[in-house]
Amino acid sequence: MIYLKGIKKSFNQLPVLKGINLKIEKGEVVTILGPSGSGKTTLLRCLNFLEKPNAGLVQIGNIIVDAEKATKKEMLAIRKQSAMVFQHYNLFAHKTVVENVMEGLIVAKKVKKKDARQQSERVLDKVGLSDKLDHYPSQLSGGQQQRVGIARALALNPEVILFDEPTSALDPELVGDVLSVIKSIAQEGITMVVVTHEMSFAREVSNRVLFMDEGVIVEEGTPLEIFHAAKEERTRRFLQRISGETYFLPLKEQVN
Amino acid sequence: MTIDIPFIWVAFKEIIKALPITLILTIVPLLAGFLIGIVVALVRIYKLKYLYRIANGYVSFFRGTPIIMHIMVIYFGFPLLLDQISLRFDLGLQTNNIPIILFVLIALTLAAGSYLSEIIRSGIISVSNGQLEAAYSVGMTKFQAMIRIILPQALAQSIPNFTNIFVGFLHTSSIAFLVSQKEVTGAANIVASVNLKFLEAFIAAGIIYWGITILVEGISFLLEKKVTAYNRGGVS
Ligand SMILES: Nc1ncnc2c1ncn2[C@@H]1O[C@H](COP(=O)(O)OP(=O)(O)O)[C@@H](O)[C@H]1O
Ligand SMILES: [Mg+2]
Repeated sequence: MIYLKGIKKSFNQLPVLKGINLKIEKGEVVTILGPSGSGKTTLLRCLNFLEKPNAGLVQIGNIIVDAEKATKKEMLAIRKQSAMVFQHYNLFAHKTVVENVMEGLIVAKKVKKKDARQQSERVLDKVGLSDKLDHYPSQLSGGQQQRVGIARALALNPEVILFDEPTSALDPELVGDVLSVIKSIAQEGITMVVVTHEMSFAREVSNRVLFMDEGVIVEEGTPLEIFHAAKEERTRRFLQRISGETYFLPLKEQVN
Repeated sequence: MTIDIPFIWVAFKEIIKALPITLILTIVPLLAGFLIGIVVALVRIYKLKYLYRIANGYVSFFRGTPIIMHIMVIYFGFPLLLDQISLRFDLGLQTNNIPIILFVLIALTLAAGSYLSEIIRSGIISVSNGQLEAAYSVGMTKFQAMIRIILPQALAQSIPNFTNIFVGFLHTSSIAFLVSQKEVTGAANIVASVNLKFLEAFIAAGIIYWGITILVEGISFLLEKKVTAYNRGGVS
């Protein structure tokens, strides 16, 4: 279970998160939508203390940290409760695919090398990369790299996996592959928080959709509620603009 | 004046006996300087209180002044300093007994540390911040991330720069002959003066420096190719 209370974060006096309250149950898949600059990435990064909130309470699993008084040790402890999948993959360039996945197991979880390798191979099989174990990231396509990124997170068996726009750096024809991998692990009951612009993913896979704007959660609900009966004007405008881009563009092209 | 080609070989055989001293004057400062360089680079990157200023000053001074000056200042200044300390605390140190090579090694080490710290620092900075964050995100500490993820890549990428420094220091070690160290240049000088064949002796010394340089560049090329293989995509 994840619990956030009053999370605030500013960069050079500019408030980016203005008091976020959020509760996520075990096994829930939550997607976060919102315009660029609304604080989605910052919220994810505050969850694992890559960014230290200025104020607020973060709880993941049975670890609770008060951001204002957080010690290094506490931050490391709460970070170990989660794993992150990055927009630009951020794979360890000097490690092979299987080593990328093993790294966290060996160093942070103190798993023996042999066991770590076995577990990593199993997870890589799940994301369809058994044939690339000994490749370096530079030898993989973007889609394959992101699947390594997902395997690296998944192998840690964390309380929650945080995805920050996992497909937005990919060529369009590779997006589907990565999304279907994320879908399949969502169905295994792993708690996930996903920032995405893939509306179909938000609609089909998530249990709950949050809409963020200007550092606050403007509205939240089931995909049905958000996509078909948004209460807030800001949410409706955003969805209209997004769907305008994705659905109506081809139509316009036809008309022209 | 004529050139006595066969004497070049004679001189070569005599001068190469001094090669171990030249190699010691090159390799010891670079190894010790490497440790200093890593520490100084980390102090500057993490901006550690107070130490950070000292590190900045150290790098600025030693990179901003010629190495021959470091050698001279330490060669003439250190014994003075030690004598003063010895006198004050009644230690009875005999600075005349300290081998000169030690002063030269200290001077070269301090210079090497400043140059290497800059190379290591830029190597560290060149590794993407994203990888550092990924390391944190899988639960590594700052130290683990530095040792396992950042430094290996930073050092691998710095091999060509390290090679340049090695070659530079190999050649710089010849300065030590000014304080009567019998390394390659010093030996050449002796062979030259004794036989009054300066051109031949220094050509022989030049061949030795050049040979070592070519050897080291070759090794470095192969090593770099091997340790940065991860960076070349498309090889499967
Ligand atoms: N490290 C940082 N330093 C300064 N400003 C930042 C930093 N990170 C994010 N911001 C600012 O915070 C705001 C929210 O950014 P972000 O969380 O990345 O938004 P989103 O992911 O929703 O696009 C933006 O205005 C951005 O410029
Ligand atoms: Mg973002």
